[in-house]
Amino acid sequence: MSEHDETRRTFLKGAAVGVGAVAGAGLVPEALAAEAKAGHDHLAAPAAAAMAAGEHHGAFFNDEDAKTVAAFAERLMPSAPGKPGAKDADALNYIDLALMGPYADQQDFYRRGLAQLETYCMKAHGNSFRRLPGDKQDAVIAALEDGKADNFTYPSAKAFFDRLRTHTMEGMFSDPVYGGNKDFAGWRLVGFPGAQHSFSPADLKSREAFTSAPMQGLQSRAKTNMRRG
Amino acid sequence: MANEKTDVVIVGVGAAGGIIAAELGKAGMRVIGLERGPRLQTADFDPHDELRYLERMDLRPNPKTTPVTWRPNANAKAAPLGQLNYGNQAGGGTVHYGALSWRFHEDDFRVRSNTIARYGDKALPEGSTVADWPITYADLEPFYDRAEYELGVSGKAGNIGGRKIEGGNIHEAPRQRDYPLPPLLEDQSAVNFAAAAKKIGYHPFSSPRAILSQAYNGRPGCTYCGFCQAFGCHVGAKSSILVTKLPEADSTGNFKLVTGATCYRINTDNSGKATGVSYYGPDGSDNTIEAELVIMAPFIYDNVRLLLLSKTEKFPNGLANSSGQVGKHIMAHIGVRSFAAFDDRHINVYMGPSAQKHTFDDLNADNFDHSGLGFIRGAQISVAAADLAGGPLGAVTRMTPPPGIPRWGAKYRDFISKYYTRYLAITAQTENLPYADTMIDLDPNVRDHYGLPAPRMTYDWRKPGEQKRIAYMLNKVEEVAHAMGASLVWRSPTGNGSPGAHHQGGARMGSDPKDSVVNKYGQTWDIPNLFVVGSANHVTMAGFNPTLTIQALAFMTADAIVKRYKDHPGPLV
Repeated sequence: MSEHDETRRTFLKGAAVGVGAVAGAGLVPEALAAEAKAGHDHLAAPAAAAMAAGEHHGAFFNDEDAKTVAAFAERLMPSAPGKPGAKDADALNYIDLALMGPYADQQDFYRRGLAQLETYCMKAHGNSFRRLPGDKQDAVIAALEDGKADNFTYPSAKAFFDRLRTHTMEGMFSDPVYGGNKDFAGWRLVGFPGAQHSFSPADLKSREAFTSAPMQGLQSRAKTNMRRG
Repeated sequence: MANEKTDVVIVGVGAAGGIIAAELGKAGMRVIGLERGPRLQTADFDPHDELRYLERMDLRPNPKTTPVTWRPNANAKAAPLGQLNYGNQAGGGTVHYGALSWRFHEDDFRVRSNTIARYGDKALPEGSTVADWPITYADLEPFYDRAEYELGVSGKAGNIGGRKIEGGNIHEAPRQRDYPLPPLLEDQSAVNFAAAAKKIGYHPFSSPRAILSQAYNGRPGCTYCGFCQAFGCHVGAKSSILVTKLPEADSTGNFKLVTGATCYRINTDNSGKATGVSYYGPDGSDNTIEAELVIMAPFIYDNVRLLLLSKTEKFPNGLANSSGQVGKHIMAHIGVRSFAAFDDRHINVYMGPSAQKHTFDDLNADNFDHSGLGFIRGAQISVAAADLAGGPLGAVTRMTPPPGIPRWGAKYRDFISKYYTRYLAITAQTENLPYADTMIDLDPNVRDHYGLPAPRMTYDWRKPGEQKRIAYMLNKVEEVAHAMGASLVWRSPTGNGSPGAHHQGGARMGSDPKDSVVNKYGQTWDIPNLFVVGSANHVTMAGFNPTLTIQALAFMTADAIVKRYKDHPGPLV
């Protein structure tokens, strides 16, 4: 975090008290949500290091589970040069906030699913999911998807995979106001211009990528026009 | 406990209820409309949010508080459906629908007799309950016309008074005049679809939609933003009941809308007359409205459920159920789909109204020869985004990747990164027949948040004829995809037998009180001052979206009430 951010964080430390649980409600700009959480961490541990991109959590997940979910999401949608992934989009932050808001009724699903995942990984690979190398993580995910992780009861391995996939995708492609799709990472990946109010007859006729306006989010707008796809 | 008296109470102010409310109000009848959800405004739909409205279905009922359960057959255990595909606000489903506005074909009203005449009675599948409607297309034509002009529908006629018109739907039934508004602009998916369909020999045209292609009745034309199906319109160009008939009902001075009102019982007296309804208010209060005329216009689940829940000593099997037909003959459209993706062009399928943009009707109804095919009826075939949702969330949650591409990982990322703006979906919306074993009743185990039994659907589309129709249509949509010159063509899986879209039936209309619930006006045979309207009345479903037919029937019902019933209450048939 830069000095500039430190200053803002100090400012927002006070503001965060006023906004209370707003970060969990997913109704603040993504930047503010992140800062509000930083303020919260600051109160708990004054010397805590700032979080790197893609590691925002604490509304619901503990540190260990956050690392597991972040690693899982990143294997589902991995980043590559010029191709933003789940970590770039901060899908973890989306899921973490959603589980304290609209998806609060899924907390137990996640707790049980993560515990079963831990058991499976220890048994099959001798280590926690978050500590496995990428190819082993992929093997675990494939076993879940195929329903081959046989220690799962509730949720089933397949249901847990499906839910994590759906929520990772929501964290990639939902409006940034919900805490993911950071800096329009998901929309940049696929070339979606966001919530445009209109398209012209020329736009409709075009066989080219749409480039004539910046990406439009609910509370934010990209600084530059769309990329050429 | 509020207790009010009025001339007419309407339960559910959507596609049918909104029209009847306005028409009866104009005729001087005092109308109270009960609506379970809120009354939203055009301003509420700006800005657009795919997560909220598509994924989290903010304009649909909550399946946790108002569950509907489903089981494939009577021996299976029913489980709540995860998503409920109907409206939950004033204006009902017309607020979020894709606004497809079809007139049924002439032959859609006479499936039984036409099938027997052309293919013999063995062509009707065993166990099916196909019947003719008690009305013909000609009976309904003036009301289709009224719905198109009063609401505002854009399209190009293909048959005016029997004269076929190139560029419109040449298979449509004869209409008295053209649409009130020219067709919506074609986008790239429509252009590609039209060219391929023509190449094969079909007759493509711009789908008629209740979306204004230009300003009309004080509302502006469509901006082609793409947030259409699942979303409310941010400029009011979608001709939903919210921006058409509700303001009209308001201006009569005779209409009162009660929102947050959940009807839980239709009240009847010992003489067998309906006396009104009871409902829970948004604060949990228990309220009763006494009315001379009760019109039930919710979606089919609550039409069936409330008739069954309102049983009395006089009506021990539920209201309007002397025939035993309440809840029977349930149908749903099953959509089958091929995806196409292009290396040499962008499609930008997120632009423009998102549902069934361009259509050919050559393989619908009995517009083609079914001899030797092993099934009757067909499908409307059209182009759109995956599951009619143009945004990226719709694509990643509803589009299965092509064979060889997993659903996750670097290969999936590269696939969606390259093709999201370069794909389209071709969908066949297949007509499915009514069967004796498809039904809605009360779930003995699952209850809603008021403690009332949930509606339980018993339904499985995987009948032999339906399977053959779907296999046939899958080949046809794939053929169109190839004719577009697509780089990748692949199929969507066909699912587990669960009901698709546009659930219909449950309060069938007919000409005989012994085998139907209502007459052609939606008036129940058993209780003349109780009407049950909407797609629950549909006898067969056509391959077309049902809303314009629901609306035309609502105009016909309102017309009969105003001109005849109002001064001479009693059976209309």
